[in-house]
Amino acid sequence: MRDVAVIGLGMHPWGKFADKSVTRLCRDAVEAALKDAGVAWREIQAVAAASSRFSGGRGWGLNGNDVVEEMGSTGIPVYNLSAGCAAGGNAFNIGYTLVASGMHDMVLVVGGEKMPKGFIQTSGVQEETDPEYLRQLCVGMPGPAFWAVMCRRRMAEYGTTEEQLAKIAVKAHKNSVHNPYARFRKEFTLEEVLGSPLVSYPLRLYEICPVSDGAAATIICSADEARKRTAKPVWIAASTVATARFDDGIPRGLASAVPPDGKAYHSEAAAAVRGAFEKAGIGPDGIDLVELQDNTVYYELSFPEEWGLCKPGEAESLLERGETLPTGRLPINPSGGFLSFGEATTAQGLFQVCELGWQLRGEAGGRQVPNAKVGLAQTLGLGGNGTAVILKR
Amino acid sequence: MTTKRVPVAANLFAETPEGPRLLGSKCTTCGTPYFPKSPVCHNPDCRESNVVEATFGPRGTLWSCAMQDYPPPAPARYDEPYVPYAMGVVDLTEGLRVLGRLSTDDPKSVQVGTSVELVLDTLCHDKDGNEVITWKFRPV
Repeated sequence: MRDVAVIGLGMHPWGKFADKSVTRLCRDAVEAALKDAGVAWREIQAVAAASSRFSGGRGWGLNGNDVVEEMGSTGIPVYNLSAGCAAGGNAFNIGYTLVASGMHDMVLVVGGEKMPKGFIQTSGVQEETDPEYLRQLCVGMPGPAFWAVMCRRRMAEYGTTEEQLAKIAVKAHKNSVHNPYARFRKEFTLEEVLGSPLVSYPLRLYEICPVSDGAAATIICSADEARKRTAKPVWIAASTVATARFDDGIPRGLASAVPPDGKAYHSEAAAAVRGAFEKAGIGPDGIDLVELQDNTVYYELSFPEEWGLCKPGEAESLLERGETLPTGRLPINPSGGFLSFGEATTAQGLFQVCELGWQLRGEAGGRQVPNAKVGLAQTLGLGGNGTAVILKR
Repeated sequence: MTTKRVPVAANLFAETPEGPRLLGSKCTTCGTPYFPKSPVCHNPDCRESNVVEATFGPRGTLWSCAMQDYPPPAPARYDEPYVPYAMGVVDLTEGLRVLGRLSTDDPKSVQVGTSVELVLDTLCHDKDGNEVITWKFRPV
């Protein structure tokens, strides 16, 4: 496999844009990425795009085709990748593979989304053979309630407090103030977070991510192309995709088998991240910053432990000591994370890559992680999809 | 007009002579339990799928729980005015980890690790006034 560089980063700010189509959001992101890379649209040899269930794509998830037509049809191959909320990371992996394999030298990876109002309906199917449908019909357990159940278990195991959960949201918004692409660029006090309405006890409104519109794009290329165009390329140390294990104890529909150790963890995310450590030859100790999927503050406590970035039960003390701030030992979500952006589902994996890229180039302004050399990003999606990316400079 | 008790969905639970049970299946080769019923075994380490019908419950331990503090979106059902409810993940003695609402008047005080039993209880009422029934777990 060849070395692959990321030379172009582009985003449309996250928010709600009633008057703009998802394809226009994508166009803005693609144009920004092309400009950043110093690459013309005609030079792009292939597109890997995240498929959306909610917007564009003509009902078939053909979002990549929409983008190519919008930019000007040049006849290039387009790959539309569907992986729920992990689609951006999944598309990045395919784009990476196209370049690493030698099939193409210059590839665009893009994801955009306009989300319907309200909490995401996890299943697109309304029939009694679908376990997700039955879960909502018979129990009434939307996404936030699932996160709340996982969180409450942690509270029982490790004594995590409601104040600690709130501190994660405070930290996220402290970072977001410095991110021009974030939707919510406002600091919140601990009291404001704890005073926000309960959505699903123990989780409050400011401790879960809302839904947003947004788009992000990256231009990736071979080492030869990268050296021609930039003095400081960012390299893809690893890009991985995984799916869930049968025995991870997460009840994804109505039930699962109790695993021998009685625990539950997101095996798709852990496999992707640990696989990325292995492929990159970089362990948890070599990671300077992490962009992880914080649909809820709970994941910022559980994921670092599940991936070996800290010891079980240690995440709360890292938080309390400020080690997850951009200036700490393990900076988590210096971008402000999903809590500050809101989730534009299929674009999230690429917003993370953009953030890693800016951090490694030292262009992250007030949220900059000092001297960041290696960054890790991770997504998680419906269907048991997980992805990870490690970038280095 | 007499009101009836109607299940929220078919073939998921029943009142048996021994009491309420969940209706699922189990692989006799590897022991994996399934709810709802699965016609085949999905365990990748199972050498031969051999699935038979099985019932689950009533005893279990509450693995974790949470509240639904706002009215859930469709297809979830509830009576107006909305009253927040508790739900949980329960590890049944048969090795099945299953989701369900909690049947309690004091949902906030329920503790992780509590012993629970399966009950068939009211989810909501339909437009004809019938009781719509689902499975729940009651702390014991």
